[in-house]
Amino acid sequence: MSEWLQQAIARADSIQDGFEDQRASSLALLKDIQWPTRKTEAWKYTPLRAVERSTAIFKEESPELEPVAVEGLEFLELTFVDGQLVSLPEELPEGLTIEMQESSLFATIKPERHVFGLVNDVLAADVAVVTVAEGVAIEQLLRINNLLSNGAQGHIRVVVDIKAGASLKVVENAEGQGASLTTAYTEYQIGAEANLEHYRFALQAGDNVAIGGSHFKLLEKASLNSSIIGFGSNLQRIDTDIIHAGEKADAKLNAIYLLDGTELFDLHANVEHAVPNCTTEENVRGIAGDSSRAVFNGRIHIHRDAQKTLAELNNRNLLMSNKAEINTKPELEIYADDVRCAHGATIAEIDRKALYYLQTRGVSRSQAQLMLSFGFINELIDQMPTAELAEWVRPIIRDRFAQMEVK
Amino acid sequence: MTEQIDKALAREYEAGFVSAVESETFEPGLDEDVIRRISEVKGEPEWMLEWRLKAFRVWQEMEEPDWAHLSYPKIDLQSVSYYSAPKSMKDKPKSLDEVDPELLRTYEKLGIPLVEQQMLAGIAVDAVFDSVSVVTTFREKLEEAGVIFCPISEAVHKYPDLIKKYIGSVVPTKDNYFAALNCAVFTDGSFVYIPKGTRCPMELSTYFRINEQNTGQFERTLIIADEGSYVSYLEGCTAPQRDENQLHAAVVELVAMDNAEIKYSTVQNWYPGDEEGKGGIYNFVTKRGVCHTNAKISWTQVETGSAVTWKYPSCVLKGDNSVGEFYSVALTRGRQQADTGTKMIHIGKNTKSTIISKGISAGKSNNSYRGLVRMNPGAEGARNFTQCDSLLIGDQCGAHTFPYVESRNPSAIVEHEATTSKVSDDQLFLCRQRGVDPEKAVSMIVNGFCKEVFKELPMEFAVEAGKLLEISLEGSVG
Repeated sequence: MSEWLQQAIARADSIQDGFEDQRASSLALLKDIQWPTRKTEAWKYTPLRAVERSTAIFKEESPELEPVAVEGLEFLELTFVDGQLVSLPEELPEGLTIEMQESSLFATIKPERHVFGLVNDVLAADVAVVTVAEGVAIEQLLRINNLLSNGAQGHIRVVVDIKAGASLKVVENAEGQGASLTTAYTEYQIGAEANLEHYRFALQAGDNVAIGGSHFKLLEKASLNSSIIGFGSNLQRIDTDIIHAGEKADAKLNAIYLLDGTELFDLHANVEHAVPNCTTEENVRGIAGDSSRAVFNGRIHIHRDAQKTLAELNNRNLLMSNKAEINTKPELEIYADDVRCAHGATIAEIDRKALYYLQTRGVSRSQAQLMLSFGFINELIDQMPTAELAEWVRPIIRDRFAQMEVK
Repeated sequence: MTEQIDKALAREYEAGFVSAVESETFEPGLDEDVIRRISEVKGEPEWMLEWRLKAFRVWQEMEEPDWAHLSYPKIDLQSVSYYSAPKSMKDKPKSLDEVDPELLRTYEKLGIPLVEQQMLAGIAVDAVFDSVSVVTTFREKLEEAGVIFCPISEAVHKYPDLIKKYIGSVVPTKDNYFAALNCAVFTDGSFVYIPKGTRCPMELSTYFRINEQNTGQFERTLIIADEGSYVSYLEGCTAPQRDENQLHAAVVELVAMDNAEIKYSTVQNWYPGDEEGKGGIYNFVTKRGVCHTNAKISWTQVETGSAVTWKYPSCVLKGDNSVGEFYSVALTRGRQQADTGTKMIHIGKNTKSTIISKGISAGKSNNSYRGLVRMNPGAEGARNFTQCDSLLIGDQCGAHTFPYVESRNPSAIVEHEATTSKVSDDQLFLCRQRGVDPEKAVSMIVNGFCKEVFKELPMEFAVEAGKLLEISLEGSVG
């Protein structure tokens, strides 16, 4: 077992008082767990050296940090700095509540298999519980900010309960400075006929280590539209689980990763179809440049009773350099016969013919490359339902490409 | 199969083999002594024994893999007998009347001639056929071409240099748990060497060599195609083979030198156990080929038997412009479990690989495709195309796909596609409307589904494979 994990357990032991059953059982599980190695399937391509060597500490005092502004949008901000909740929205719209308390949903949607999820169970100091009352549609976006100062360690946890017929839009925003380390897990229950528009931005690159997950449970006729955009860092790992627990639920997941330098990004997306008549559509696109490494694992699991399921997963990757690496593994596990499931994965470089075509039209090679790779992912950005967010993220991505280009 | 060949088989069986080794059947258990005894019985030279012992020591340090999507009780390797001489005549059924009628019905449907039926059912057939001529013409023809085709135990004596050079060169002793076990205890298998620039004059088949029959448990095959040569090798047969062995851990190594081509076709139809999953063969096979410059290896497999199949015929595309192919049909029914697929390791420039995998699950079975495509940094301009299709028949079975795709070269192109569906009601309706009964209709649809793979099989094999699927699917519809 790693020293890092031992320290985490020791810390959890010291603050254990007041743990409810759920956290106590996570701690017990954690004490028995095997530290992942290359032979652990879920960590096959993602070494944990960055965690083992991390010097990030729990800070007694944290500097004041502000989340990035997005033009044209006023968020309801829920802000954590170095793992501590520092601000809640002053006024909440009717039907929306945020409380710091135990929730019966805590650790029930996130699967037990995640080592770092268990660490988060026991180390997340402030668990925020967001509830949307039945039938209420919250128009304003709620933003969960996970901000870390240089060298800090922080663990945050948010549980979101969207009651029947309600709707909510959530942005998860992570900004880690320097050699910080964080685990950030969110759990969402989307009630019957309820609706969630979800974004997870992990746009901080650099020395930080960020491990986390967004986990969704969809009840009858619930719908989810999620977009995940990540840049790599020393170690960036996101797990997402979509659990169809009610019939006729619909989930859509778009994910993008753009890597440069020696960055590492690992996305594990798992979809559980436990009941009949649900649909899932996943589109994942990635670009790996320089000496970076991208990992994608997309699993779709159709349970025995989940007849009439429609599930599709598409993963396309561009490999930009001889030193970069892309490892992808789309998985299907199917136990019902009357279903339509498909997945596809490709890895290639930018189409040389398309490059040539643009060059014949007088576009420089580097400009053409930029246009083509931007077009490759812009398709998914265009699908983001909140246009202001798309507007905000586009120039950030363009800058990223320009940066990749210089090298 | 012609009657003449049957005669040849019967004849060869009667000769040599039984008398050579009938004395020994080892008591269950595995230790260094057992390995020494195997080596002694085979009269092996010292270096071979050393090689086995080295593999055994490696194996002792290894753990049984558990990553496959399979569940079976742990195999107690100490309860297995590692050497058994072929059954003596008196233990065998005396006539077809003593053989399971279910088995006979299957033979009949496959249109297997009576003599062959007796052979497959393991009946003690006395050599009443004069068939020396067939064997001789067949041997002569190969010898003329300079092709070596003999039991590997014979090759150890006759061609020690070739064996020393190539055995374990493609599948190293420490490759995996079952391969290491095989290295330590293998009893026999085939050895093939095709000289430079030679096109093997006939399709080689284990089926021609009856002495394969009772060595199936830990079989080892080594095929070397020297520069510019070509060989097509067939393994197995379409009829279910009566076999008491529980565990099969075979190793097959192929070496395709520059510009050579090896085509390896398998029809595997070991006993799958009964409807409730009792009995049946555990088939754990390591098959791998290495391709040098401009070489080509093509694996074609039709897997319908065995209770548990764990098998990943692979290609290491080492030389520039080399080509690897994998065509597979895997059908599971009853409580069968199959975890099968391939590995394509692209090392050389402009290497190409194609993977076509068709999985059919019926009854309460589970059928998984597991594959790896790896583009190494030097695999400039390499290309892979993978297609995995699964067909589910009934709502109690499972079909799974676990492809690993790893690329470290931007100019390499990898494409993977997988689909899962059931036999569509529309297609069934169309067939029934034309007066085709449902069972026949399903079999037609399944045959169409597998067509891409069947067309890669040698012709007689393809016809039999089609029939085999039809029989395997019986009773699955409804």
